[in-house]
Amino acid sequence: MRKGFALAALLAGLSGQFPISHATGWNMPVGVSQVSRDVYDLHMIIFWICVVIGVVVFGVMFYSLFRYRRSKGAKAAEFHEHTTVEVVWTAIPFLILVAMAIPATATLKNMYDASEADYDVMITGHQWRWQYDYMGEDVTLFSNMSTPKAQIAGTEEKGEHYLLEVDEPLVLPVDRKIRLLTTSADVIHSWWVPDLAVKKDAIPGFVNESWTRIDEPGIYRGQCTELCGKDHGFMPVVVHAMEQEQFDAWLAERKQAAAAEAGGVDREWGLEELVERGEKVYATVCASCHQAEGQGLPPTFPALAGNQALMDDLDRHIDVVVNGVSGSAMASFSGTLSPVDIAAVVTFERNAWGNETGDVVQPADIQALIAP
Amino acid sequence: MWDVIKSVLAAFFGVQQDQRRRKDFEQGKPGAFILIGILLAFLLVVIVFAVALMAAG
Ligand code: HEC
Ligand SMILES: [Cu+2]
Repeated sequence: MRKGFALAALLAGLSGQFPISHATGWNMPVGVSQVSRDVYDLHMIIFWICVVIGVVVFGVMFYSLFRYRRSKGAKAAEFHEHTTVEVVWTAIPFLILVAMAIPATATLKNMYDASEADYDVMITGHQWRWQYDYMGEDVTLFSNMSTPKAQIAGTEEKGEHYLLEVDEPLVLPVDRKIRLLTTSADVIHSWWVPDLAVKKDAIPGFVNESWTRIDEPGIYRGQCTELCGKDHGFMPVVVHAMEQEQFDAWLAERKQAAAAEAGGVDREWGLEELVERGEKVYATVCASCHQAEGQGLPPTFPALAGNQALMDDLDRHIDVVVNGVSGSAMASFSGTLSPVDIAAVVTFERNAWGNETGDVVQPADIQALIAP
Repeated sequence: MWDVIKSVLAAFFGVQQDQRRRKDFEQGKPGAFILIGILLAFLLVVIVFAVALMAAG
């Protein structure tokens, strides 16, 4: 009796040491949607069922080993079969499994039911950033990791959201059903936000459906969770959930910005402003392969700095960026960068790191190439 | 016939009495067990499918 008490005290002490609560970071998050709470509850129910089974089975086993040990003169029973016992130990696990499968299946069915959504968002994985299209709203975002290089290199102290911060989070309204359509433009990625209990593979040529309805405004962070190449660890997911009015205002502002951007194609741009803009585009989109100073990583990623053959051929330079190089990691940017961005980045590359062509590429010319 | 079905069901469940197993091996025809086995496996699939359809509403 006293031994049992000591064991109970030990268990209580241990569970005080490692409370099985999400707040400690030892457990999965409860999350901020009904589905994520259902998933958490399922996880805990099944966990405790396993704990009880483990304690009972190993308890009986160790007790029997100890109580009926040979030095105390115990003799093994020698019967061959016992149909009742065998039926019972087959039927009980079967019933337990069915009991666990019923709520699990109900939750799974719910998770797959993406019908009747208020908003549709297309999520496209790229090496290495996420693209969000608000379908029917003409708003597109590109979400790049914003953790400074110096923090990654360790020359600067790491921030609170190290590797989990982006320039453009996916902005969503709370209390609305959002259908998430996930796909990829290159290799397989996977879009994962633990607090929403959404984890969906992004596969080129396929569109996978999932959905969420967020209860609380806030910022929820996740990661790409399918190994997708060199910067797989550097394409986090950030969701910013806000009240409907705030979201509407945000969306209207974005639509306006998109219209202004489209208008920017028509005017004549100067060298300075293109280079300034191109430098930013280069740093967020191109530098992961061609490197910060345009030196590349030959032979995999060609150098752009001091690349005389390229500097001598403006048309090829533009063509490579607009159409990509098929069969290589150099993707076509006509669908993912605006004509202004493409003109800017090409102009920048032709007037940086010792490249001094003085060439100015006009957005209107790029526009004419993409949509003649 | 009924005995064969019972033995096949016992095999599905994974528990069989030694005495019956012995009898099956001495008196049964292999073909009968195989045939009943295939039929009952098919029936199982149909039942699982029907239950799944019912659950899906
Ligand atoms: C995922 C890695 C990757 C990214 C990101 C990338 N490139 Fe490339 N780029 C390549 C590779 C690989 C090649 C070589 C393709 C070939 O010729 O086989 C290349 C070739 C080029 C070339 C032609 C170089 C030459 O000498 O032929 C230019 C110009 C270029 N990239 C510009 C850009 C620009 C501008 C961006 C950003 C908008 C960019 N790249 C982003 C991988 C990348
Ligand atoms: Cu990825």
